[in-house]
Amino acid sequence: MAVIKVPPPPVDRNVFFQVAGYFAEIMKGMRLTLGIFFRQLLRMEKTNTLEWPEQPADYGDRFKGKHFLTLRDDGKIRCTACFLCATACPADCIHIEASEHSDSRIEKFPVRFEIDILRCVFCGMCEEACPVDAIRLGPEYAMAGLAGDKWVYTKDYLAQRQELVGGVESIKAESAKHIDTGADKRRSYLRHGVH
Amino acid sequence: MSIAITINDKEYQGQAGQTVMEIAKANDIYIPHFCWHPGLSVAGVCRFCMVAVEGRPKLEIACNLPLAEGMKIYTANAEVEEAHKWALEFHLINHPLDCPICDQAGECGLQDYYMEVGKYPSQMQADKVLKPKALDVGTDLVLDTERCILCSRCVRFEEEVTKTSALGIFDRGDRSIIGTYKDKKIDHNYTTNLVDICPVGAFTSKDFRFQKRVWFTEEVNSICPGCSTGCAVELAFNRKLQRYYRVKPRASEVNGQWMCNFGRTVYKHLNVEKRLLTSQVWDEAKGKQQALATSQVLAQLAAKLAVAQKIGVLVACQYTNEEYRSLFSYFAKLNASFWQWRSDSEDRTAFDGILMRGDRNANSGGFEGELQKLDLQSSGGFADFCANSFDVAIVLAPELPNTFANIELQLQKLQALPFVSMWSCASVMLAYSYQQLVAMRVFTEKQGSFTNYDGRVQPLPQTMAALNQNCVDVSAAVALLQVSAHDDQVSNHDSQQGA
Repeated sequence: MAVIKVPPPPVDRNVFFQVAGYFAEIMKGMRLTLGIFFRQLLRMEKTNTLEWPEQPADYGDRFKGKHFLTLRDDGKIRCTACFLCATACPADCIHIEASEHSDSRIEKFPVRFEIDILRCVFCGMCEEACPVDAIRLGPEYAMAGLAGDKWVYTKDYLAQRQELVGGVESIKAESAKHIDTGADKRRSYLRHGVH
Repeated sequence: MSIAITINDKEYQGQAGQTVMEIAKANDIYIPHFCWHPGLSVAGVCRFCMVAVEGRPKLEIACNLPLAEGMKIYTANAEVEEAHKWALEFHLINHPLDCPICDQAGECGLQDYYMEVGKYPSQMQADKVLKPKALDVGTDLVLDTERCILCSRCVRFEEEVTKTSALGIFDRGDRSIIGTYKDKKIDHNYTTNLVDICPVGAFTSKDFRFQKRVWFTEEVNSICPGCSTGCAVELAFNRKLQRYYRVKPRASEVNGQWMCNFGRTVYKHLNVEKRLLTSQVWDEAKGKQQALATSQVLAQLAAKLAVAQKIGVLVACQYTNEEYRSLFSYFAKLNASFWQWRSDSEDRTAFDGILMRGDRNANSGGFEGELQKLDLQSSGGFADFCANSFDVAIVLAPELPNTFANIELQLQKLQALPFVSMWSCASVMLAYSYQQLVAMRVFTEKQGSFTNYDGRVQPLPQTMAALNQNCVDVSAAVALLQVSAHDDQVSNHDSQQGA
């Protein structure tokens, strides 16, 4: 059997000096890391790490967290049950049941409005689709829970949960949202007519 | 006399007296329109179906333009498109744009035409005129006068089709409203047609109101089983939820463009809460029905039939021709007698002059025709049937119990018979103590045909699979009986040989 002889690679005696540059860079990096580590350890510098949940985190106004339903000035639910959010929803997690409202000016409202939060992908398309600004994704982000918890948010929970009171600044006053053009005050005589 | 015209440089043949709109509709040429309707007279009030005619200085409305030899019509040039666009803005000047709460959204003429011929930026600065909304104007009708574009289709329907003239246009100019007369409501059996013909959401149906957005439903074709006229209908069906939401007429030779209000209710018994989903046998010890597979229930029935001396089959005339054929041919071999179950108070020859007939069974013609084909005869009606003492009574219940005047009394009476095998699709049967309940399919779940009052055989397409595997049609039930009877014979034969 033929044996192919492979010559051994030449020994480079200057290998340490060739990679010495890397060690220098590592030391530079460690200087920064350890510098911050010790400065923060000795409280010479503010740390960016939050001790959540003792310390609250703020994700800003545009965060798309837990949904809520907005209310009219008189406390009635703003949603008109038009199903546009349910239509736009890619996760098919919004379930609405519409009915006739006793107030003829409102006409249609949801008797049931449920979000299956486990299916929700927080894309915000419901918020975008809503023609009356009735559904929003709020700043609440802590949604962990146990198996026994209610994972289907009901209408009451979405509109009136404790955490919402004073917690959502972005709900504008009705007057600020619909600029008064005088149209509401102008009543057609027909409104008071025979009909 | 044939008239040759060209539309968009293509030649078409029409008849004298036809209008451009009619020939365009027949040839699928797109002309947007609101007030024209194939079942109504020409009003020409919406001014929306503008077309250009070569040699004429101004645009003309297609709906009121009679054909003339050599006429050259253009439906889509720049001038016509402009006319459509601004005619649409004119219609939308006082329209409230409350599409989110409007049931018409999704099938609205204004929405569709805005996307097809509109797409203009609104130039209106003035406020919209407010008008009364959500008025209860009659049977199954809610009127929103703000949404109305005054096409007058509803007024013409009331005048020409039902001849009740309950609607009118009141006031003038932009304050014109559609309305009823003082203290009068629209009350007849055809009111929901107003909802169908309204091109916008001015008329909405109380029954369908807020039940489902139309884009969640698909339209499936069927035949109305509500009476012997057999109108062509389409049902709004949500395939995911397996639910029906409404019935609308489909244009056909039988019913023209319309259907009655009773026919609009024939979807209700199709949904799961009204259905008998599993076959049952009466448990004497517990005093209630016990669910059992249909094949087992029918095997028990076959065993019962094998030893029965006197068999009676009471049949309601609401099953398909194919089902009758298999039922009659099987039970004729067992020397059973056939009885026709009809409502006591019905007047079979009654006709309301529009569509609805006194014979409220979809397939009386089929029942009688199929019996005749086999040289059989109906032995009598319900009362005579009850007077007999059958060893086994097989009852094919009506699919639509509300076509019968006093069905509850009759159902109670049947409980007195010694052995009743009730074949029904309705969950109300669970309340009665029949020895057997066999879960039947409803008309949308089976394929077959109905023979209407006129002898016209209309195919009934199957639009969905059965809600439950246990639901069978009569043909399948008879086939199961046959199989069971055959098995019994084989096993009897075997045991005799063994002995």
